[in-house]
Amino acid sequence: MSMVYRKILKLLMTFFVIITLNFCLPRLMPGDPFYFLSSEQGEITISYSDEEIQRQRAYYGLDKPIMVQYGGYLKSMAKGDLGYSIYFNNDVWTIIKNRIPWSISLVFLSMIIGGFFGIILGCLSAWQRNGLLDKILYSTMVFVSEIPPFLIGILFLFYLAAHWGLFPLSGGMTPFADYASWTDRIFDIAYHGILPVITLGVVQMGDFFLISRSSMIAVMNKDYMTTARAKGITTGRILLRHALTNAALPIITRIFNGLGQAVGGTVLVENVFNYPGLGLLMRQAVLVRDYPLIQGIFLTITLFVLIMNFMADIVYKKFDPRIV
Amino acid sequence: MLTVENLSVTYYQHNLKVHAVKEISFVLEPGQTLGIIGESGSGKTTLGLAIMGILNPNAKVNGKISYNGVNLRELSSKQLNKYRWKHIAMVFQNGLETLNPLLTVKEQIMECVTRHLDLSIKEANKRVIHLLEQVGLEPFVSDYFPHQLSGGMRQKVLIAMALACEPKILIVDEPTSSLDAISKAEIVRLLAKVQREKRFSMIVISHDFSVISSLTSKMCVMYRGSILEEGLTRDILNNPMHTYTRGLINSSPSINPFQDLWGIPAANSKAGDGCPFYPRCSQRLDVCKDKKPKLEYVSLERRVACNQGGIVTLLEASGIYKTFIFKGRSIVACNNCHITVRAGEIVALIGQSGSGKTTLASILSGYLKPDKGIIKFLGQKVSSHELTCRPKGLQMIFQDPFSSINEGFTVLQAVTEPLDILKLYSPQERKEKAKKALFAVELPVDENFLQRRCFTLSGGQRQRVSIARSLILEPRLLIADEISSMLDPSTQANILRLLKGLQNSFGFAMIYITHDLNLARKIADKLYIMHQGEIIEQGPAGEVFKNPSSEYAKQLINSADLL
Repeated sequence: MSMVYRKILKLLMTFFVIITLNFCLPRLMPGDPFYFLSSEQGEITISYSDEEIQRQRAYYGLDKPIMVQYGGYLKSMAKGDLGYSIYFNNDVWTIIKNRIPWSISLVFLSMIIGGFFGIILGCLSAWQRNGLLDKILYSTMVFVSEIPPFLIGILFLFYLAAHWGLFPLSGGMTPFADYASWTDRIFDIAYHGILPVITLGVVQMGDFFLISRSSMIAVMNKDYMTTARAKGITTGRILLRHALTNAALPIITRIFNGLGQAVGGTVLVENVFNYPGLGLLMRQAVLVRDYPLIQGIFLTITLFVLIMNFMADIVYKKFDPRIV
Repeated sequence: MLTVENLSVTYYQHNLKVHAVKEISFVLEPGQTLGIIGESGSGKTTLGLAIMGILNPNAKVNGKISYNGVNLRELSSKQLNKYRWKHIAMVFQNGLETLNPLLTVKEQIMECVTRHLDLSIKEANKRVIHLLEQVGLEPFVSDYFPHQLSGGMRQKVLIAMALACEPKILIVDEPTSSLDAISKAEIVRLLAKVQREKRFSMIVISHDFSVISSLTSKMCVMYRGSILEEGLTRDILNNPMHTYTRGLINSSPSINPFQDLWGIPAANSKAGDGCPFYPRCSQRLDVCKDKKPKLEYVSLERRVACNQGGIVTLLEASGIYKTFIFKGRSIVACNNCHITVRAGEIVALIGQSGSGKTTLASILSGYLKPDKGIIKFLGQKVSSHELTCRPKGLQMIFQDPFSSINEGFTVLQAVTEPLDILKLYSPQERKEKAKKALFAVELPVDENFLQRRCFTLSGGQRQRVSIARSLILEPRLLIADEISSMLDPSTQANILRLLKGLQNSFGFAMIYITHDLNLARKIADKLYIMHQGEIIEQGPAGEVFKNPSSEYAKQLINSADLL
């Protein structure tokens, strides 16, 4: 049990280092939030006077010495207060909270779809290694996993949405729609979600395929597989109980890594589809140098990754008795 | 019960063909124990896996493996599964990943039990515990994962697992590799015990003679996928008939606790279509390069694959008598002496001074005429010195290097003298040969040294020159008469190592005459002890030293404090 405590302590220390970095990073970036606050994306039309900017700075505490700012930052962090968005004029946590479900459901669904097909095809490929099926699958999957996700997204958008008009072009749901019932609402959300989910799913599938194929092949060559075959037990048991449990270990790591990246890994795809998740929010926040919001998003991403890694450790331990 | 006929296994990897097993045949009777020995890479494990039918798909198998009349090679994988483990089980080589790291010991044994035996869960549980107890493990080990076991425990689990379904044949692959001495002895005892109790047939695959000799009654010696020798384990150990088997025995520290260890020299040429051992054999002939020997009976229970029928008998002397008349008193120096020397072996002839050793050696080399007796060299009867005056015959090195070499000769003259006398080769070739021989005995070969007079050399150098002189005719048998007794201990050690090294690489046989038992134990394969003109004891060196039969030999060995 003491191992768990030690792990949690480590986690907290990591977390502390990260929030410190989180504090420093935006302040090291060139640019100024009030410069953008006073301009309409790109077109610079100055509407704040220097005096007003000074006043704003004082209001947000950005004129104080850096250590004082840091102290204040830590204090509010302890209270769970992520600050107030300069650009959106709203509580940072409220903004983020509204975006999280979109991103998470996107990643989750795409991982289920991609993982399901990826793992099954990967195992099949490994089982028929160097056969025709394996050769075709392998080269296709390598190709797919090498294409950047936004390119796949744009392809889908061009053909399926723009050209054939099968799917909506952007957004998470129809704007200003009045839904007759909650089923209509869900249907609308699902309809908007299909392309982003499939895009991410294809990428995930390539990853899962390669990982499960290679770990399955590695397991097939292990001595214990020879032992298992010599025992004359059924092929099903050899494959499921002996091979798959061992091959599952790297796949589990991959799943949690993928989940950890749920919030940060979708930036490109969300931007392609203008999908209202955290990725899109992040781009907006960076463009306008909205420090509190950027920090808030980074912190959420970090927390997510840390928690997922922690969970991966716990689940891994359940699977592999060798890990203490 | 198990018959293997013309079994061949070829691995195909990246267009590379590797013949791991070549046309092997053997029969395993019920309750019989068969050992398979060979260096690593000789195809032993492949043979085991082939019998189980679990070779990789990239291995091509030919031949027949029948178990109780059923050709296992014709069965489908499903049908084969009925035989696997239930009839033929295997104790795999102990490795970290031989057992599945994610499953408990219990589950891994249990799955064999439930698959092949019709038992309830409760009975199966009981059986797992019983199996563990049978191999000397506590029942709680069943809940352990493989990584929690020590090497010895893992080996026991592997044995328990193999015994799970009471197999009729057990294949045991390297049961003691990577185990310490105590666990090793324990595992060997355990295997012997269960085999005795359950009476199953057992094939033990190992490179360790001590394992094979304590577990098996019959054995095959494998080299590069072929069986080179087959016979009763005890017979083979006492009297190997193939040069490879002898080489293996000579390199085994468990059989030769006292002798210097000399491995078989590595091959310096490639084996062609002929004998697989050709490049490393010490008695190879040109025929062996192209003619592949068949495994044939040389005696009732022994089969050897050798074009010359196994290790050749070089010298056979029988019924040698010699009496000297000295001032009217007759002294019997040799009384009905027999001696046999096989190619490539070192025979030590031991005895006190005056026991007749030197007389016998002189008779063998043709310097002295026996009163009675026959000497045969490679089956041909020989008389007087016809053996010493020809290449590939017999040469002698004498005790005293100061008097055996003409002091006035240059080194070159001394070494080429035999060739000069026999008028063999041109002077230039003689010089080349002399240089080669001097190089072999680790002497300088520059002109300066070649022209030095022998009286300027030290005793050790002179003895080396006389060894070089005897090597120049490439003898098949060398008689060394107390060659080191006049040298200081360090020079003696150097000369002996040199001689043994030369013997190991050139493969000649040697009769080493000495009164020094310690020395004899260090170098000899075979021992003859002489006393008052009679050979009173003979046999494999290890045996004689351990267990001398005659009173005199016991006395001799006792006085040397060797027992």
